Amino acid sequence: MVVVFFLFLIISYLLFDAIPGNAFQNLLLNPSLPPYAYEETIALYGLDQPLSVRLQKYIVNFFKGDLGYSYIQFPKTAIELIGERLPRTLMLFSVVNILAFYTGFFVGKVLAWRRGSKSETWITITSVFSYTVFYPWFALLMLWFFGLKMGWVPIGKFLTPNKWYDSPFDSDEVFLEMIKYMVIFSLIYFVISILTKEIESLTQRRNIRLGSFFGLIVISNFYWNTGVLSDMRFYAGDIAYHTILPVLTVTVVAFAGTALLTRTTMMEVLKDDYILTARAKGLSQKRIRDRHAARTALLPVVTSFIFTIVTIIDGSVLTETIFSWPGMGQLILDSVLREDIPVAMATFSFIGVFALIAHFLADVSYAFLDPRIRIKSQG
Amino acid sequence: MFSIQGLEEDNMSVVLDVKNLSMHYETLAGNVSAVKDISFSINSGESFGLVGESGCGKTSVAMTLLQLQPENSVITEGSIKLEGKELVGLSEDELRKVRWDSISIVFQGAMNAWNPVIKIGEQIREALREHYPDNSKQTNIQKIQELFKMVGLDDTVADRYPHELSGGMKQRAVIALALSCDPKIIIADEPTTALDVVIQDQILNEIKKVQELLGLSLIYISHDIAVIAEMTDKIAVMYAGSIVEMGPTKKIFENPVHSYTRALLDSTPSIRGEKKKLKSLDGEPPSLINKIDGCSFAPRCPDKETRCNPNEHMRLVEIATDHFVDICSQGKE
Repeated sequence: MVVVFFLFLIISYLLFDAIPGNAFQNLLLNPSLPPYAYEETIALYGLDQPLSVRLQKYIVNFFKGDLGYSYIQFPKTAIELIGERLPRTLMLFSVVNILAFYTGFFVGKVLAWRRGSKSETWITITSVFSYTVFYPWFALLMLWFFGLKMGWVPIGKFLTPNKWYDSPFDSDEVFLEMIKYMVIFSLIYFVISILTKEIESLTQRRNIRLGSFFGLIVISNFYWNTGVLSDMRFYAGDIAYHTILPVLTVTVVAFAGTALLTRTTMMEVLKDDYILTARAKGLSQKRIRDRHAARTALLPVVTSFIFTIVTIIDGSVLTETIFSWPGMGQLILDSVLREDIPVAMATFSFIGVFALIAHFLADVSYAFLDPRIRIKSQG
Repeated sequence: MFSIQGLEEDNMSVVLDVKNLSMHYETLAGNVSAVKDISFSINSGESFGLVGESGCGKTSVAMTLLQLQPENSVITEGSIKLEGKELVGLSEDELRKVRWDSISIVFQGAMNAWNPVIKIGEQIREALREHYPDNSKQTNIQKIQELFKMVGLDDTVADRYPHELSGGMKQRAVIALALSCDPKIIIADEPTTALDVVIQDQILNEIKKVQELLGLSLIYISHDIAVIAEMTDKIAVMYAGSIVEMGPTKKIFENPVHSYTRALLDSTPSIRGEKKKLKSLDGEPPSLINKIDGCSFAPRCPDKETRCNPNEHMRLVEIATDHFVDICSQGKE
């Protein structure tokens, strides 16, 4: 992984270096930078030195977290810009990924289970459609329909400027608070699920989980009513309102692949002998479907999901442009088009890190899911 | 000897009574009658063998008893009575209560009977949870330990995954699984097919041991007549979906009446008897799609000219106490 990461850094640097009209010239031609910033940037990147030195400097700087000023938005540094944009993209796409994976997996599982029925045929056709549809066109269609025609959701952007005009909070502050809340919520629920695993009676287990879920919702209601948060609620709601359409659109497009793959693998699994054993044991249909068939069918689906994570990150450029979502994707596009080299390079490298981490997590989860590839730790 | 006699008399109640059971698979090419008009009954503690060549409907019978057959199959007539309770026509939910609780099954090929991603213990506990929802986890674990002891497995097996066990261990664990809900009948569907001969012998002994220990009824399905002879009190010989001869194992081995039973016995070497050349039959079993009039074995029958009456509609007749044979072989005697 480390080797891959270094290769990635080197290649992305060389690519940017190869852009006609190199970073150095760009810098000199840029009117918005004050003289001291010129000096600093040249020193930082070693722009007056040969390629090998420049490359070395870039890598060292990357690990120091110092990538110089943005050429366009001068007083901000590249890292600051990313720090502002990254959470937005991260949040949008983790929500979408999780949602798409779960709906896709659920739909696929039900499809396989109801093989041959009419609803199966129609849902499969719909899934194939949303799997193969030309994404930008579909996104525009969604925008037009839900945003313009029905007027249910805002057309793009991260927030409604009018509402924020006299806001006491910075949007990033509110947003981070929202992320914090979501992470805490899911962590608590995760811990509860793990703890309830020990309960032997299935109905009791399910009741406790459901109860705690609603309990958490009630608690979060109180949570958003305390102190600063009660004022922040209004603005948080505005941001959440803006996330609906992008999340919905990307989910619709992304879930189909998972659904179709789950359907195929699950149909394969349903032929296996242990499904017959499970039926002979007198287990309920739902339990056989979820615990035996879907659980085993999950493995190849997760594998393919690992590979799609990266494409979804790349896809953020398209999504964010269409929905004017100010995230990493837009930052890449802007900085590349306007030749804001430090920012472009930094965003590229960060996306690389992001993809590597996602891969790593997926790999770990795969080992967790399939006992057959787990390495024995105890003698 | 007397004690066995007494035991038998105490337990002479009929556990499973199958009458005129017929089942076919609906396929694009037509209906495949896999089970044709089969009747038999099993007393408690008795072991019953179903023997016949591949594709003769042995497994279909087993599946039909639990109604686990594929969706394209239809039970056309007959009844399956478990301790007087009719099983044919029960809803899926009612059947679920019967499965494993009263009748459990050991499938052919234990290798694939376990879900590869769930621990063995958990898979057994799952069945326990389903049928004894009030049990605590501790009780269930204890129960599993007892079962494992009975089939000669280590306690730690419960915490292992199926791929960590050998074939023989998996099969032992399957037997433990089959015993987990204290069933009245165990169906063993070629439980030793995928195992080598030594392990095969161990597993057979294991099955026999627990069967006698717990007083279970056993339905043993195999194509291997030697194994059947060793395992069962009573056997039924199947050919092309019907039972052609049925009776106490000893009687059938000593005095096979139906030509197919004889052919089957002639194709198996005997250790004790005189050396004979093993015989094999020409031809193939008939396709079950076509309706067969008269004896389905007639085209391959070596004796059809001399002693049979192949035009008679197939049905069993009693020729001695408990010894039934298809009417065809009764023909010209």
